[in-house]
Amino acid sequence: MPDRAAATLSQDTWQRFRRNRLALAGLVVVLALVVCAAGAPWLAPADPAKQSLIEKRARPSEKFLLGADEFGRDILSRIIYGSRVALLVGLLSVAIALGLGLVLGCLAGFAGGWLDVLIMRGVEILLAFPYLLLAIAVVSALGPGVLNTTIAVGIWGTPTVIRLVRGAVLTARESEYVRAARALGATSGRVLTRHVLRNILPTVIVYSTLFMANAILVEAALSFLGLGVPPPTPSWGLMVSSGRDFLLVAPHIATIPGLAIMVAVLGFNLLGDGLRDALDPRLRGQV
Amino acid sequence: MLTFVVRRLLLAVPVLLGVVFVVMLTVELIPGDAVALMLGEHATPEAVARLRDYLGLDKPLCVRYAGYVARVVRGDLGRSIQQNRPVADELADAWPATLELTCAALVIAAIAGVAAGVVSAVWPNSLFDGIARVGSLFGLSMPVFWTGLVLIVVFALWLPWLPVGGAGSPAHLVLPAVTLALPSLAMVARMTRSSVLEVLREDYVRTARAKGVAEGLVVAKHALRNAAIPILTLLGLQAGQLMGGAVLTETVFSWPGLGRLMVKAIFARDYVLLQGAVLVFALAFVVINLAVDLAYGALDPRIARQG
Amino acid sequence: MNRARLALGAMLAAALAATVVLGAFAPAEAQKRGGTLTIVRPTDPVSLDPQLETTAPGAWVYFNMLEPLLTMDEKMQIRPALATGYEVLSPTKVRFKLRPGVKFHDGTPLNAAAVKFTFDRALRGNPPARWASLAGSLSGAEVVDDLTVDVTTREPYGPILRTLAMYCTGIVSPTAVQKMGEGFSRAPVGTGPFKFVEWKTNTHVILERNPDYWGDKAPLDRVIFKVVPEEGARMIALQTGDADMVLLPAPAQLPALAKDPKFVIHEVVGGRVVFAGMNAATPPLDDVRVRSALLHAVDRKAILDNILEGSAVPARGVLAPSVFGFKDMQLDRLYPFDRAKAKALLAQAGWTPGPDGILQKGGQKLSLSWLAARGRYPKDGEITEAIQAMFKDVGVEAKVQFLEWATVFTQFRSASFNHQMFTLGWVTSNADADYSLYALFHSRQVPPTGWNTSRYANPKVDTLVEQARRNMNQTEREKLYGETQDILAREMVWIPVYNTKEIVVTRANVKGFTVHPVEYNLWLGKTWLDK
Repeated sequence: MPDRAAATLSQDTWQRFRRNRLALAGLVVVLALVVCAAGAPWLAPADPAKQSLIEKRARPSEKFLLGADEFGRDILSRIIYGSRVALLVGLLSVAIALGLGLVLGCLAGFAGGWLDVLIMRGVEILLAFPYLLLAIAVVSALGPGVLNTTIAVGIWGTPTVIRLVRGAVLTARESEYVRAARALGATSGRVLTRHVLRNILPTVIVYSTLFMANAILVEAALSFLGLGVPPPTPSWGLMVSSGRDFLLVAPHIATIPGLAIMVAVLGFNLLGDGLRDALDPRLRGQV
Repeated sequence: MLTFVVRRLLLAVPVLLGVVFVVMLTVELIPGDAVALMLGEHATPEAVARLRDYLGLDKPLCVRYAGYVARVVRGDLGRSIQQNRPVADELADAWPATLELTCAALVIAAIAGVAAGVVSAVWPNSLFDGIARVGSLFGLSMPVFWTGLVLIVVFALWLPWLPVGGAGSPAHLVLPAVTLALPSLAMVARMTRSSVLEVLREDYVRTARAKGVAEGLVVAKHALRNAAIPILTLLGLQAGQLMGGAVLTETVFSWPGLGRLMVKAIFARDYVLLQGAVLVFALAFVVINLAVDLAYGALDPRIARQG
Repeated sequence: MNRARLALGAMLAAALAATVVLGAFAPAEAQKRGGTLTIVRPTDPVSLDPQLETTAPGAWVYFNMLEPLLTMDEKMQIRPALATGYEVLSPTKVRFKLRPGVKFHDGTPLNAAAVKFTFDRALRGNPPARWASLAGSLSGAEVVDDLTVDVTTREPYGPILRTLAMYCTGIVSPTAVQKMGEGFSRAPVGTGPFKFVEWKTNTHVILERNPDYWGDKAPLDRVIFKVVPEEGARMIALQTGDADMVLLPAPAQLPALAKDPKFVIHEVVGGRVVFAGMNAATPPLDDVRVRSALLHAVDRKAILDNILEGSAVPARGVLAPSVFGFKDMQLDRLYPFDRAKAKALLAQAGWTPGPDGILQKGGQKLSLSWLAARGRYPKDGEITEAIQAMFKDVGVEAKVQFLEWATVFTQFRSASFNHQMFTLGWVTSNADADYSLYALFHSRQVPPTGWNTSRYANPKVDTLVEQARRNMNQTEREKLYGETQDILAREMVWIPVYNTKEIVVTRANVKGFTVHPVEYNLWLGKTWLDK
């Protein structure tokens, strides 16, 4: 029975999703992002690292469709290549947060007792720990770079995942389905795992998309504070940060990457909302 | 209830101790020495060594940690390495500003968010609802540091209505508070809308309407009362987020608060000052969580009994 | 008739003399008394006591309250301040005569005991003053009589006069220090034209006119130093009139402000050199041909025109022009921007283009690791990125690591620093070549002992700077430093990029202000407001 229900579930889900226009818009944005990232070498009109100091801060024109930055580099090309950093950071950091979070959350939920207390206190300590210091620590230990920024962002997201997973595990443990299964003699471990994992899957999927939105913002904030990717790799956050100095004379340098961040984050938010509404409208209000 | 409060506060102590230790350990492990940084390019190694010795920074980590905890218990938060001032004074100068900013942002987010959400729910799919929903989505997606910059350009430059940065008058508070509040406002508006919509569909509401109770009363009494819990949860979470977000906003607007102090302390490796700031933030988290839980209990007696 | 002509001549002469004499006393413009000058700058001081603070935020403020024995005017000439004259008694002892009748802000008199107190406190206090490291061989002061003090050094120390003219050697009131203890750091007492009123942390510091000042009393009533970290915000405050003077203005806005009659831009070449440094200890930069090639590969003019946009001037050597002993190294003649020449030199050194355009030799790519911070010096990050791109154009790959200053600084100071390039700025604190050339290029001054981050080692240079340090004859010292810089020019281990310009922007009604080549010397004693 569970397998047929699962098939119907995904069909229903897709139906509900398709009808939600905003969700579709989000999906389109995310797909566009992926295409940008994958096809950057072919889509970008110019080398994002090529400088032409004499043409610094050029307004949008035929040569520079979206204008040039303070080094005379083509902003459009940098936006396109910047999607790679945004997506990479988003995807990998989600993977890290989910990986760590699932393991620790399940441990806390299943094992209970002192292990649960220990993990939850650890989560609280991590939440109270200044994030900037965490980022500096990661970057100092591992060196600057896209991957290491990703790790810093991933660690940032882990506490929330732990809490979510642990909460879902605790709820599932008390659910009637599990109690019934236990009463019928099924071993606790297998039943719990299957039921719990299936239960938290929608929550996790939705959280992932929303987290990716946040991850892009966090990476942008880190670049803004001076801890981002090494040059000349373009990062939208870094572009906004360096464009700050020219806000009055050449606002396009900071504004356009800011718009890109916004659109990407919006896309992921819409996608996440759509998924949540499609998978289980009852989830609204919990995630 | 008193036991509940006391128990929660006591549980917070190991967390606070833990945070202080982890912060101290982290600063120890990352490169950068507060004294060398302070003395700068013109310091001789002897000068650095002498100052470190004078400040007691050469003792091993555990000794310094134990010493720190012992002093904190007696109310002494130590002296900032870089500023050579008692940490308590530095914090006292800064925390009211952060409190002011966070409260203002919270109030804006709560009031405007709930209001927008309620109006959206009562007149769903109207023009207002459409604008509010799209606006919320944008509000959620805009990076705080970018919003701040855009607002500065529009409201302090093109239309010179408001001051650019710093603190001092109520006018100085407007832009930073709005910037900080925007993402939370958006989330509260969305949450309120969906909660109120759900409640409005419930049977007992239809019954009330059928009985002829005025719409406004229905909304206020039933819908809000029951939608309050998820909204409250969200606000509680948001309060924490807002304090964290204050760091970026304070930087963009030169707002002299704890967030900016913390960033300075981190870049200067002034771990004594940093720990003080972290303790204040952590304590604030604990208090906020406690307040939210207490409010839960007040709103829903079922929860209070479990406490 | 002769007598009449004589009388007429005499009267004319007298009239002329009178005009000249009166003319000397007539002010150029009618100076107005009164008013409050509001200054905005990025950071709050840590302390207003030179004992604890030698960086700009504090110095800008206490420079107007605490005065040293000597001072350097805007032309970098030594002038009397609290000392009216000096006499070199021996290579390790200089006698100063103090100005009579000078009082500290708390009413106590300035005397030799106060000078001795200041130096003892700085050099032997616990902990010693921040500026003790800047003072070289200074060892203390001896009281001869109330108005005569002997300043001693541990060894013959040529730079002693400029050391005593440094902004941070201001004489403090012993009474005040003893009475206020730690409070002195927040409310210093000196002899300057302004005295302390209030300091609200991270917000403002207020000074007011000292009516008992020994020299020309200040025209202004009050000065307020405000903290405004954001560059854009500072500029806006200037435009709206919230501020009268901006320190560290936004370079991009200077051209527009220059054309606006409501504002005046005060600028002078300052004392800091910002450069891309090369680590000459490790290959491939131990090869002088590679280093020369890199110098030829950088279009310094493009960087100055497009990134610094007039906010700085091209560096003409490893020292700033305002430093005693400066010699123009003629970098544009020795190392003009010439990509072809760069590539030729690299080819000479055995580097050939690889498949991806990056040069290689024996299977090794010409890839340089570069450590830099952003925002420590103006446009340091941008310059690094621009040079990285210029290197790429000649086939040299630069892997830049940007970290925050604390981490970068720690690595620079470490003996195991192994990056090949680094971005750094250096200011000659006492405006004497010894301060820089010794610490930066003497072979034994490799970090952490000194600041020879480039690990440059040339025994001839070692000898020259050691000799110049011990010589009390300033003319001979200048010659020795000239020779040193000639040698350095041939073996460059730096790519000097720019000299800072000290730029201060004021509203047009701020008069009587001249910007000083030393950034800390913000003298407001002659400034007045024309309302």
